[in-house]
Amino acid sequence: MLIFSVFKTLTDQKVTVELKNDLSITGVLKSVDQFLNIRLDKIEVFDEARHPHMMAVKNCFIRGSVVRYVQLPAEHVDTQLLEDATRREAAAQNKR
Amino acid sequence: MDPASSGIQEPFDLIRLSLSERVFVKLRGDRELTGVLHAYDGHMNLILSDVEETIMIVEQVEGAPESQNTVNVAKRKMDMLFVRGDGVILVSPPSRT
Amino acid sequence: MATLQGYVDHRVLLILQDGRAIVGVMAGYDQKSNVVLSDSKERVYSVEEGVEEIPLGLYLVKGDQIVLIGELDEALDQSVDLSTIRAEPIPPIHY
Repeated sequence: MLIFSVFKTLTDQKVTVELKNDLSITGVLKSVDQFLNIRLDKIEVFDEARHPHMMAVKNCFIRGSVVRYVQLPAEHVDTQLLEDATRREAAAQNKR
Repeated sequence: MDPASSGIQEPFDLIRLSLSERVFVKLRGDRELTGVLHAYDGHMNLILSDVEETIMIVEQVEGAPESQNTVNVAKRKMDMLFVRGDGVILVSPPSRT
Repeated sequence: MATLQGYVDHRVLLILQDGRAIVGVMAGYDQKSNVVLSDSKERVYSVEEGVEEIPLGLYLVKGDQIVLIGELDEALDQSVDLSTIRAEPIPPIHY
């Protein structure tokens, strides 16, 4: 839930999603769901000359399970807030 | 104070105590990361900053024994990175030497 | 899952875990991201020759096989002469 919330706060920011098939896609984060499926707008595929497959694709849905990394805009991530929220979630988990 | 919230009772406590510290992460696909840990969850999804990734690319020489494989290392840096937990093999806290 | 909303009745490109690329009109989907395509075709990429299109018709793709679903800009897609495109197939998923 924590990571899902982080992605929600990054809506409308530019991110780069790297997939487990080595494709790298940069775009504007439009939405995310509980599976961390991602909707990107205004996409650009890294090394488009080698990957012309998505030339005519301008927005896409990426299945969360095939994501390796997402590069986030550091200036829009409050690391102190993240660490506090992570500690809170861990404490809640420990009580169960 | 609840003892579970201070000491190390279970594996995830080790990761919790590494928050805001530089950690080493080993990933599937011959990849390693170091970075400052800011968030994690029960899937071992991670958010790291100031990340350096190392990818080991093993090149097999045709017909030669495996011991003669050459390993090429590629490195790259990323400011702020979400790492999906299913690729994580281990998270190691900073060395205290 | 609100994220597939808006693709129904639109021409889309599906990239699958094994690297296949399939285009078609999204007829429907469910919460597991299973997708039904109508008038679908597989696009086979190779470096030796242009893209080959293999008609598949009405096609159901299981959600767990899907990597990505992209909305095609139809005008842009039709302006591309697929027979001139040379490219490696998309790699399959690995870690």
